[in-house]
Amino acid sequence: MATSKCSQAGQQLWAKMPKVGGYTRLCFAWSVIGFLVHTNSSYRITHQANAELFALTYGSLVTELVRDHEDPIEVNKQLDKIGKSIGVRCVDEFLAKADVAGLGLASQCQSLRDTAEVVARMGFRMFLGVGAECGAFSQDQKSFSIYFHDNPLSTFVELPPAGDDQMGDDLRKLKYSNIYCGIIRGALEQVNLKVDVTLVQCTLKGDEVNEIRVELKEVLADGAGDDYKEE
Amino acid sequence: MAAVPVLFVIVGKNEPLYEAEIDTSTGIHSSSSGDLSTRQNYFVLHSALDLVEKSAWTTNSMYLRVVDKVNHQQVSTFLTAANVKFMLLHSGKGEEVVKNFFNEVYQYYVKLSMNPFYKFDTPISSKAFDTRVRAAARAYLS
Repeated sequence: MATSKCSQAGQQLWAKMPKVGGYTRLCFAWSVIGFLVHTNSSYRITHQANAELFALTYGSLVTELVRDHEDPIEVNKQLDKIGKSIGVRCVDEFLAKADVAGLGLASQCQSLRDTAEVVARMGFRMFLGVGAECGAFSQDQKSFSIYFHDNPLSTFVELPPAGDDQMGDDLRKLKYSNIYCGIIRGALEQVNLKVDVTLVQCTLKGDEVNEIRVELKEVLADGAGDDYKEE
Repeated sequence: MAAVPVLFVIVGKNEPLYEAEIDTSTGIHSSSSGDLSTRQNYFVLHSALDLVEKSAWTTNSMYLRVVDKVNHQQVSTFLTAANVKFMLLHSGKGEEVVKNFFNEVYQYYVKLSMNPFYKFDTPISSKAFDTRVRAAARAYLS
């Protein structure tokens, strides 16, 4: 039932798309697939989406971007942008489902520490099926890191060696999983937290663990009561 | 007979994609085999390509066994589903041994081709692939 609703909406959206280029279409297709994947890997629906399909689709998205933009820095930006539009959407789904599943989201998050816990422990498990840890809080409690070992996006990925001109540019600067940053940024922005997110460590570059640094810039006033503000 | 290093080559549609010469002898390696024999090895492998295509039609399995023999050297071949040829030049290893080696390499090859940064039918520059293949060769062929 839900699927037919989805596909109807999808068709409508698709019909509106002819004026945009192939790239936007690709993004759209990916977000649909991404949506299907994390719908399936949520708590309530027990069967899992195919992780290989997920990883390969993301891989072709990234390589397509690399081919289009050439400059890895620009690719990082694009990934972040795509991620943001995913994050903006999936925060609602997350709050709805996490609540339904009754997994300890008893009340609102009181501090950034709570938010970090929720994002790392529940968000990652729900959408990606991997566990993540949060830690390394700064003195002023305004930034923290998310650590995770298994990165479902980079299952088959091996970055080409530095001297390899096949892709034209030095892909050492590419942040392959930069989409996570966008997703977290988008999701937290929806709940009035303006954050800066960067991928600090990546297992693809030989680091021990994947680390995402989240830095709180400000709590947006809009829509939030005084009692909701930090500290 | 001195232990001749084996030569493993992956051949794509138009060009060799990967090659590794692996010295499987555990003892002191002889320096007698020089430039000449290397060139001869390539010649043997190249001339075996036609025979590979011929024998591909004679069997259903991917492993084509020994397709060519020149003096003491034999060329074993494995054909992947996408018609990429794994060729091994050796001096009479057991068929099963070579088969196991090919199967192992095939796994690595599949893993490599799943990498979004690897384009099909292009030279393989992955270091990880190289070390894995060499390790497999040492494990199976020595």
